[in-house]
Amino acid sequence: MNIKKFISKPLAVLAPFVAASVLATNPVMADETCMSPYMVKIVGQEDFVYVWTLGVEGLGDGQDKMVTVDVNPKSEHYGKVINSESVGGRNEAHHSGFTDDRKFLWAGGLDSNKIFIFDVHTDPAAPKLVKTIDDFVSKTGGVVGPHTTYALPGRMIVTGLSNNQDHGGRTALVEYTNGGEYIDTYWMPTDDNLQGAHKGGQFADGYGYDIRALPAKNVMLTSSFTGWSNYMMDFGAMLGDAEAMKRFGNTMVIWDLHTRKPKQVLDVPGAPLEIRCAWKPENNYCFTTTALTSQLVLLNEENDVWKATNVADVGNPADIPLPVDISINSSDTMLWVNTFLDGKTRGFDITDPHNPKQVYEKQIGNQVNMVSSSWDGKRLYYTTSLLGNWDKKAGDNDQFIKLYHWDGTEMTEQFAIDFQAEKLGRAHQMRFGAYSLYGKTAKVEQAKNNIVAMSK
Amino acid sequence: MRYLSLKISLLLSLCFYSSYGLSEDNAIREQVKTRDFYNSDHFMIKAPEAEGSPSASGNAQNIDGIRIGAGDDKTGYETTGYETNSVAISARHGKKADLIRVLNEPPLGLPKIPIPVDNPMTVEKIDLGKKLFFDRRLSLNDTFSCAMCHIPEQGFSSHELEKAVGFEGRSNRRNAPTIYNTAYLERLFHDARETTLENQIWGPLLSRNEMAMTSMGQVIQKVKDMSDYDGMFEEAFDGKSVDIVNLGKALASYQRILVSGNSPFDKWYYGKETNAISDQAIRGFDLFKGKGQCIACHSVGQKTALFTDMKVHNTGLGFKRTMGKEPEKERMLIAPGTYAYVMKSKKAIVGHAPMPDVGVYEVTQDPDDRWKYRTPSLRNVALTAPYMHDGSMLSLAEVIDLYNQGGVLKNESGYPNVTQSPLITPLGLTENESEDLIAFLKTLNGDNISEVISDAFSTPVGDTISIN
Ligand code: HEC
Ligand code: HEC
Repeated sequence: MNIKKFISKPLAVLAPFVAASVLATNPVMADETCMSPYMVKIVGQEDFVYVWTLGVEGLGDGQDKMVTVDVNPKSEHYGKVINSESVGGRNEAHHSGFTDDRKFLWAGGLDSNKIFIFDVHTDPAAPKLVKTIDDFVSKTGGVVGPHTTYALPGRMIVTGLSNNQDHGGRTALVEYTNGGEYIDTYWMPTDDNLQGAHKGGQFADGYGYDIRALPAKNVMLTSSFTGWSNYMMDFGAMLGDAEAMKRFGNTMVIWDLHTRKPKQVLDVPGAPLEIRCAWKPENNYCFTTTALTSQLVLLNEENDVWKATNVADVGNPADIPLPVDISINSSDTMLWVNTFLDGKTRGFDITDPHNPKQVYEKQIGNQVNMVSSSWDGKRLYYTTSLLGNWDKKAGDNDQFIKLYHWDGTEMTEQFAIDFQAEKLGRAHQMRFGAYSLYGKTAKVEQAKNNIVAMSK
Repeated sequence: MRYLSLKISLLLSLCFYSSYGLSEDNAIREQVKTRDFYNSDHFMIKAPEAEGSPSASGNAQNIDGIRIGAGDDKTGYETTGYETNSVAISARHGKKADLIRVLNEPPLGLPKIPIPVDNPMTVEKIDLGKKLFFDRRLSLNDTFSCAMCHIPEQGFSSHELEKAVGFEGRSNRRNAPTIYNTAYLERLFHDARETTLENQIWGPLLSRNEMAMTSMGQVIQKVKDMSDYDGMFEEAFDGKSVDIVNLGKALASYQRILVSGNSPFDKWYYGKETNAISDQAIRGFDLFKGKGQCIACHSVGQKTALFTDMKVHNTGLGFKRTMGKEPEKERMLIAPGTYAYVMKSKKAIVGHAPMPDVGVYEVTQDPDDRWKYRTPSLRNVALTAPYMHDGSMLSLAEVIDLYNQGGVLKNESGYPNVTQSPLITPLGLTENESEDLIAFLKTLNGDNISEVISDAFSTPVGDTISIN
């Protein structure tokens, strides 16, 4: 009988963190520029990209998996899938994030509410599933849809997307230890209980999506998407469902990083999704884009009050290009914005954050979702899947990972792996791995130039 | 690469202030706010005041600290003046109610609850059925209870979707109807295909787009394996453990006791309390009986009223959806008060084709039954939006418009809707008369709603508990 009994595998004994002599001299420069500031960074050549991949019924083993792609150009397996760890079930694999020590990768399932914890340090070439949190909903008091898994010192903050009462958008933040022990649930502020937060506009919907921290400002920012019913349903059916279309987030919340208390609720209509914050210490601002209204939004503090300002259109909003993932470069000069429906990536010059200008545009595929950048901004990886039931159907349903080199003016494709041809599934979130993080080297002399920086 | 400048005005932002009683000044302020939001007024259009699409959320209200309506209230979302009215998920607390008391004393306006001889009502069965109704573990991947689609505070239906969404996000073709007063229904489902509440459970439990359990045996074994049910079936069913029969009996007992009457209408009509409903609602009832011909199908008796004849009829809606032309583009809300147009062709790239629905014909295979659906009760109708078998009507006003125009007798090409009920004919209702009818329909809410919701909230939601 099929009630899955969860068997806890002990977390692998933490190998002492050996970061060699190159540790931590450059705290603000960072790789994978969307990572937590508390995170150990790869600032040289990454060895691996871990792709959290959605299983597709009838394709290969039909289940979700963590796929490892070898991306070191010096490796004989460059541009090839070298490992795949299946986790069982189609969980609506979505986002993943490392613990602050970067030894474990947490990957959430938006449907099954499971969180899969992979050991990525014992053998960075072959992440291994070591623990599954399967009681997320009951432990948290009803949070559904574990989305962003974000590292704070010794802790993981998990944003929810929904709840177990109406499968709508009201949800919470959840805190765990790095070892996977539940600590607390912080509900997003709602009108009946703003929890001391100031509601600056018309909305306090209680929705959630992404989270980022700005330690210098003692601030966390969260954005808002939609509940289970919408993110799980057929995209076309949703566009035709006038009630469903009212169930999108229109808010961002500013939190006190230390107390985990909400301070301000900002109106940001149109479903603000990914949040990326500037890296330079003097740049205390972040960006988001709104999925439905196609706005690039600047979040900054003026006179101790946080503001959200629309600073640019993304494509033609009337065409609903659907901005999805964004990526800021480490010098705070470029922001990459992907738009799912037209399959394009757009580069915005954000040197003046109040006045971003689109300076580049490229077609990546029939559809595109995620973009991950190397620390130097020269390598940009793209994947295609947005959500199992939102991806384009039939021939338009591209599923790949592609690497492009960016020379500052032009992008050139290096390799592409077709995840359907490889019988893997839908390619979603990417995270980078490197031997050098753990004081290891590969058999080939590939990690030589890697530098590891710890930014705290 | 050149950055394309905005094309003009496909995206409309519409302001409807009239219904919100905002002064002209406020209206202007709201509009300016929206303009700021876009940094551009290229695609701003102020809509005529009368235009406005309704909201299914109803005006959520709190009674005795219980939210009646969606906790995430979207009333007025079509306007730039929309303000949230949300309640915390953590506020789901309630008090257990003495539900069984209505067994021998049905509320005013309702007949005695019909109880099957082989399933006498007991408190134990109600409690067990309630626990099961809220248990998400009854689905293949522990994400769906009955209550995820029949949400207590949303009239035991769902305001948040026109058509239900089930296991792994799979589409359903129909709207989740209310559970209130299903005790009295002789035939269940929109197409009247099911006979008893006891049998009905296997539809959702085993449908791959609802709870997706793979066999009856799997369901029974799963309940057996959940230790928090230990002894409960035995206590409710004379020592018998869970099986396919008593699982149905338990769930049916909870649903059957959810009768809801003694509404303002009942107090006025049956209780002879002259001030229980407004003059407008009284005018509305006169129309309901007279000019509107509603009573021909939504029956009202001498002592009780179920507001349904239990029969099936074609009102024109299903025919229109199936045989009518889909518009090339559709207007769609993308943020409060902000609209865009989505092309049919674009929708087809990201969506599967809509599922067919020919109504009762699918059950009887008789072409005379094409696009017929069972007449629903109208009790608590103000609490169960959106309406009709496909949830395509967001408000009572839309439903009345359909009747007022006499249903849909032919499609754009002149193809006739031969099975439409002869009782559906153009009514010539004025706008005031439509409003009177709506005022009447709003008097049909039972008096026990907050109590039943509170009772539901006192029941824990069943979720996976990790067994380490
Ligand atoms: C995925 C959403 C969903 C779930 C889960 C679900 N239902 Fe329903 N329910 C519906 C829809 C949609 C209909 C109408 C179907 C039709 O008419 O074909 C319906 C119809 C019904 C009806 C008939 C009401 C009437 O007016 O005829 C009853 C009773 C009912 N459901 C009870 C239950 C019970 C009991 C469960 C749990 C065992 C359950 N439902 C689970 C969506 C759901
Ligand atoms: C010929 C029989 C008939 C007549 C006359 C009739 N109705 Fe109905 N009514 C139905 C049927 C059948 C449905 C369900 C249709 C569907 O699901 O598509 C329905 C649905 C409704 C609904 C939606 C209920 C829900 O929960 O979705 C409302 C409201 C309603 N009718 C009100 C009225 C009013 C007001 C009138 C008079 C103006 C009226 N009806 C006349 C048969 C009738």
